[in-house]
Amino acid sequence: MTGNLYQPIHSEVVDIIDESPTIKSFVVAPEREFKFETGQFVELTLPGEGEAPFTPSSSPKQTEQMEITIMKAGRVTALLHECKKGQKVGIRGPYGKGYPVDDFVGKEVYIVGGGVGLAPIRSLFLTLVDRVKDFKSVVCRFGAKTPDDFIYKKALFGPWQKIDGVDMKLTVDEAKGNWDSHVGVVTTILKPDDVNVANAVAIVCGPPIMMKFATSKLLEFGFGFEQIYLSMEKNMSCGVGKCGHCMIGKYYVCKDGPVFRYDQIKDYPNIWD
Amino acid sequence: MQTVFISKLKPFLDAVAAQMDLYVPKSSGAHYVYGRYDPAAETDVEFNNIRMCTPVKEFLFPLRELAAVFPEPLEPEEIEPFAVFGLKECDLRSIEILDKVFLEAEFEDPLYIARRQKMFIISSDCFEPGESCFCNVLGGQPFARAGFDLNVSQVEDGFVIEAGSQKGEDFVQKHSELFTDVSDGALVERDQNRAEAQKQLEQNNAQFKLDAPVKDVVGPSYDSDVYDQEAQSCVECQACTRVCPTCHCFYLYDTKQKDYFGKMKMWDSCMRLTYAEVAGGANPRKALGDRLRHRLMHKFSYFLDRYDIDMCVGCGRCVDAEAGGVDIRVVLKKLNEELKDKGRKKAEAKK
Repeated sequence: MTGNLYQPIHSEVVDIIDESPTIKSFVVAPEREFKFETGQFVELTLPGEGEAPFTPSSSPKQTEQMEITIMKAGRVTALLHECKKGQKVGIRGPYGKGYPVDDFVGKEVYIVGGGVGLAPIRSLFLTLVDRVKDFKSVVCRFGAKTPDDFIYKKALFGPWQKIDGVDMKLTVDEAKGNWDSHVGVVTTILKPDDVNVANAVAIVCGPPIMMKFATSKLLEFGFGFEQIYLSMEKNMSCGVGKCGHCMIGKYYVCKDGPVFRYDQIKDYPNIWD
Repeated sequence: MQTVFISKLKPFLDAVAAQMDLYVPKSSGAHYVYGRYDPAAETDVEFNNIRMCTPVKEFLFPLRELAAVFPEPLEPEEIEPFAVFGLKECDLRSIEILDKVFLEAEFEDPLYIARRQKMFIISSDCFEPGESCFCNVLGGQPFARAGFDLNVSQVEDGFVIEAGSQKGEDFVQKHSELFTDVSDGALVERDQNRAEAQKQLEQNNAQFKLDAPVKDVVGPSYDSDVYDQEAQSCVECQACTRVCPTCHCFYLYDTKQKDYFGKMKMWDSCMRLTYAEVAGGANPRKALGDRLRHRLMHKFSYFLDRYDIDMCVGCGRCVDAEAGGVDIRVVLKKLNEELKDKGRKKAEAKK
């Protein structure tokens, strides 16, 4: 037996980065080395207040600290946004199955992300660019409501655009300030010739409505169900496939996901709700 | 394993109670509930004809318990050995099902294990199945096959006691002075009683018999309208999931105490509206019919896929507890009829 699976590891918030008006990244240092695979998630406890699931946005190579990007969406996340450096928190995990990066070797990796969905994608992106030569290409299409709503602005508007082997385009629903790039929801910058579909995989992460439309666009381009990887957001509570809250059909998102191939879940209704 | 005889229950239960806390069935209205056995006060011990109203999961997975403590880790609660008398075959099957979840390799639940290891199980035969009992529809029967430490069968002159585990065997050995050899007559009588109870179950549930294994009835029913129709009489009381001995959904929440923070684990119900809702407000099962479908598909299809056993023992507790009008036997039968109709139409189309 491996101890109490409900007991979080003591951790501390060592830095907080304002990403957008509603999103902050918390740099969390667990008291011992913490390993995870990109796309896996953790349960973050604010002691006495509550616990919520998040996919770390940092590279899995970083095992002493992890970054967790959090949008203010409910009670616990609102309280987390009030926290200051030095806040004691708890971490359980890592849980579930992440992105099968090794299966992407030799392929074009087509990443579609929106809003706070860029959080898990950042971890994946850092993992991919670390060994970028292993992939045919890394093609990113990211969207946000306004330029201000993009998270990881510094990297996104600068160095990430200049990496060899990475093709990145950004769009906003509504232009503000000196935005001179594309305007329109993220599906409007997805083009059939972005990648060679026959040798590509697609990764989609973002708000449910965006994932729904991005997926149907990918299917239009000829992507097979099994070529599309989705990060599902459900109510993961226990993290170990017991409590039942996160079930989609027969799957426990916490244990069988959170990353699913579309063919696994496509026949269940309401997956986007 | 040994089978022995005793003419009265009290000396037997006193011997158990001398070793550990013992819970026994006590009448409460039309039902039985568990109560602590007090050797000094009890004169007449009740022998429950059917399962008690309270599900056995209460002993292994309490309604609410402390799951973790912050900042100091939780010292595992010292669980003392305890015994429960009057569990039925359906209860034992429900333990088998819960074991799959909470003893799963790599994801063992230490809180469950602590209680499970200390539980001494004394089952007994059902001699008069209740109106809502339908274990036979799902492959069950009115007497225990396995999973008990001791099993008690009532016969005319006393009780036949069978050991089903090393722990049970040791108990019989240790208290050999209480027991006598079992006569062939008593064994014949026990088997007759069992057959009689089985017959009664078959009669009671003739109208609910399914034409195919339950997984084949429920598995393909995803698009069935039966769920929405049946859900119309559901009042969302969630009693079905609370009394269900196999339902094991729970909810983790955090509390502030005077000198520590606690993470609590509490029963939850998939029939609750916001059960699957996320912070952003999305909820894949807003409609009651969707929740009823999920509950049944989980029991008879998803769980089976994962653990190779279905998640209903046919105890009928949900039928008794239901405040609305949903009867799981009726839902299954309607799905069965729908499947037959589909089959018939297919066959006709072929012609």
